[in-house]
Amino acid sequence: MTVTQLSHVAMEMGVILLSNGAETYRVEESMHRICIALGAKEAEIFVVPTTIIISVTLEGEVPLTRTRRIHTRQIDLTKVSEINHLSRHICYEPTNYKDLLSEISRIDTIPSYPYYLHVLAFAFISQMFTLFFGGSFIDSCVGFIIGVGIKLQMDTMRRFQVNVFFTHIVGGLIASTVSVIALRLGLTTNMDTIIIGSIMTLVPGLAITNSIRDIIAGDYLSGLAKGVEALLIGAAIAAGVAVPLSLLRPFWGG
Amino acid sequence: MNYITPCIYAFGASLAFAIVFNIPRNKLLLAALGGMLGQLIYVIFQLLISNDVLPYLMATIAISLYAEVLARLTKSPTTIYLAVALIPLVPGGGIYYTMLYFINGEIDLGISTGIHTLLISGALAVGIIMVSSTVNLVRKVMLKGRSKIGKKLKYGKKT
Repeated sequence: MTVTQLSHVAMEMGVILLSNGAETYRVEESMHRICIALGAKEAEIFVVPTTIIISVTLEGEVPLTRTRRIHTRQIDLTKVSEINHLSRHICYEPTNYKDLLSEISRIDTIPSYPYYLHVLAFAFISQMFTLFFGGSFIDSCVGFIIGVGIKLQMDTMRRFQVNVFFTHIVGGLIASTVSVIALRLGLTTNMDTIIIGSIMTLVPGLAITNSIRDIIAGDYLSGLAKGVEALLIGAAIAAGVAVPLSLLRPFWGG
Repeated sequence: MNYITPCIYAFGASLAFAIVFNIPRNKLLLAALGGMLGQLIYVIFQLLISNDVLPYLMATIAISLYAEVLARLTKSPTTIYLAVALIPLVPGGGIYYTMLYFINGEIDLGISTGIHTLLISGALAVGIIMVSSTVNLVRKVMLKGRSKIGKKLKYGKKT
């Protein structure tokens, strides 16, 4: 395998891992493992949440360095799991370039769950958390509607590439507006529960987990970046919820 | 019954989150059980200890252990179990009430609720760090025990 092919394979796998929500150390470790297993003498990899830099040296050849900028990030842990599995597999059974590429493209095109299931899942999270925080059944149905609304709104805004903070501000805004309206219509008496339950859909669970795990592994740069992202998203949700609660005060009599 | 229903709701919410995170089909239930386990441990320790931050720490330790063990057993990344199970413990109520007190002008209450929320988040982080570091240490000691074979298999610079 030439140095170009080797770095190409490692880079493709790294990009899939990083853009689907793997921790930084997992990306670095997998890429390093692949390079060594495929016969590189040295491989230096540097990963931050938006960039991958890899530098590979083969015996008796000039080193090659590649950079890739990651623009879109989503969460698809099936792909992370599969690539992780593939990278361990390569260490035990060396494969050739073509097979590897076709395997990588197979993993990259694994379909995620159908869209209606995602919408239902969002609505279900919102409903379950409303019940979890002590709401009644009717409260949870309001939560269900908010969940559907938030999912549709977030996907629409993602299509227009709106930044993540504004998306979450609008999400919080929807949650509290609908809750205030439900309170005004007399559907519910505990608006707080519905709002708390439905903003749980916006909580950046993976960002929190990954930032802590990155910091443990010693990748302070990525850990801090993700931690700040999680904190700012939390602040954005609170800000979004606060706006209707302040402006519509005459309607809910607070 | 008051203590069991939140566990069931946590299970449902975790299952839905597992779908949002696109976790492989055959691991959905295992991941959701983690969320239920966290809530169960939280409730048990809430009855035993009067402190209201410690139960969060205990629950996080329990789900981290669960995630690490299952990740080894099913040969998949720890994150897919940990991220899902952690969400029911995230203090969403704390964030909301902090904000509500501030916009109502009750600054003192807002600050105390905010610090309480931060303490809970700190407990979650410490729980994950404790378990993850211990597991890594145990693994390294075991790898060293296997001497030469261990060294040959260890490609990565870190664990």
